[in-house]
Amino acid sequence: MAHWRLKEIVIMSVLAVVFGVVYLFFLPVGNMLAALMGPIGYEFIFGIWFIVSIIAAYIIRKPGAAFLSETIAATVEMLLGNATGPIIILVGIIQGLGAEAVFAATRWKHYNLPVLMLAGVGSAIFSFVWGYFYSGYAAFGTGYVISMLLLRMASGAIIAGVLGKSISDALAKTGVLSSFALGKEERKKKVAS
Amino acid sequence: MMTMLLNQLNPSIKALTVIVMIFALTLVFDPFTPLVYCLFTIAITFMFGKVDGKKYFLYFLPFFLIAIGMLWTTLVFADAPKNAANTVQIFLWEFPKEDVVVAFSLALRMLAFASLSLLFIFTTNMVDFILSLMQQCKLPPKIAYGVLAGYRFLPLMKEELGQIRAAHQVRGVNRATNIKESIQQYKRFVIPLLAGAIRKAERTAVAMESKGFTGDKHRTFYRPFTLSWKDWAFFLFMFLILFITIFASIQLEYFQWYKGQL
Repeated sequence: MAHWRLKEIVIMSVLAVVFGVVYLFFLPVGNMLAALMGPIGYEFIFGIWFIVSIIAAYIIRKPGAAFLSETIAATVEMLLGNATGPIIILVGIIQGLGAEAVFAATRWKHYNLPVLMLAGVGSAIFSFVWGYFYSGYAAFGTGYVISMLLLRMASGAIIAGVLGKSISDALAKTGVLSSFALGKEERKKKVAS
Repeated sequence: MMTMLLNQLNPSIKALTVIVMIFALTLVFDPFTPLVYCLFTIAITFMFGKVDGKKYFLYFLPFFLIAIGMLWTTLVFADAPKNAANTVQIFLWEFPKEDVVVAFSLALRMLAFASLSLLFIFTTNMVDFILSLMQQCKLPPKIAYGVLAGYRFLPLMKEELGQIRAAHQVRGVNRATNIKESIQQYKRFVIPLLAGAIRKAERTAVAMESKGFTGDKHRTFYRPFTLSWKDWAFFLFMFLILFITIFASIQLEYFQWYKGQL
């Protein structure tokens, strides 16, 4: 945290707040799918709840960005009325750690598409372990649990990884990120070409 | 002022209490304990908190629906039972008794979690919660004020969304008429909104620094939050209720710990 600039912290907080709202909007969608199909309904769109860690880490590129942004987003989601209450902060911490673990494995140096997709998968796996105990997935048959996990991993890779990168890249093109790691990289590329 | 008591408790302790209670409840695997604890929690919320009953009902309803979804999927997709001969009839179908007990305990557990969470949400001011996290839980001021700043942007962003929509209309950009089109058009809204938010955030950070905000942890606070015996009394009280519920459950021979049911 010491070598973070205030600007980066505020941007990360603001991204987290915005996506906290997005997370909240997707909750009724997930609930509807879950009420129709049972818990597996959530898995299709589960990746949306990991997206801020990918976006924040990709833009700021500092240790902790994925973890902190997801934790803050979860907190904000609760503040705005996710009725799951304080426990969701813990869920955010766990999901954030999943993505952070992947970035840590690259020593926070590589931010290409495969790494971002893997970070989404990391969140998926961490959050699944939590859900296994909290929601009692173990009561389901093994085949059902495995298909839930695979769906969540795919959703994490595609919605969080691919969509998260595409949103960040589009933002970089507008120029607002010029003083952050992603914007700087974008400019370097332009100069080189 | 009994009815305001919950609203006046320290937000951090209230959150801690809810989280600890939820953990304690995850270890219980009979339907009786979560049901009774859930009813107790709802009673406490209405007795000691200032709560809007209608709104409470609206928040509780989705949990009820999810719990029902949880109930039937647990029954239908359950693992093969160990004691298949012992069955229970529900309407036209027969289910193994142990599956039914687990299914009901999971569904009721979800409702108990919901009642605890709603106790927190309905009696806590969210700005107070962040300030208390900073003062009692050592949340770095940089993050706390960053989040509060972001929180203040939300109404502005709502306004901005209206402007973007109006701008699209003026320029004659066609509006999405079905779900597929609105998914394709998401970037048209998301990117300008995020870009605006990032610009505002950058300006806010500069303003904070220029006014001497260093993020130093030894700062003073305009609104100090403290802990009193009442906060810990609440924590102990919620534990006591849980013990009483579990005790009653044991007396009535409903009680089951987690011992590898799943």
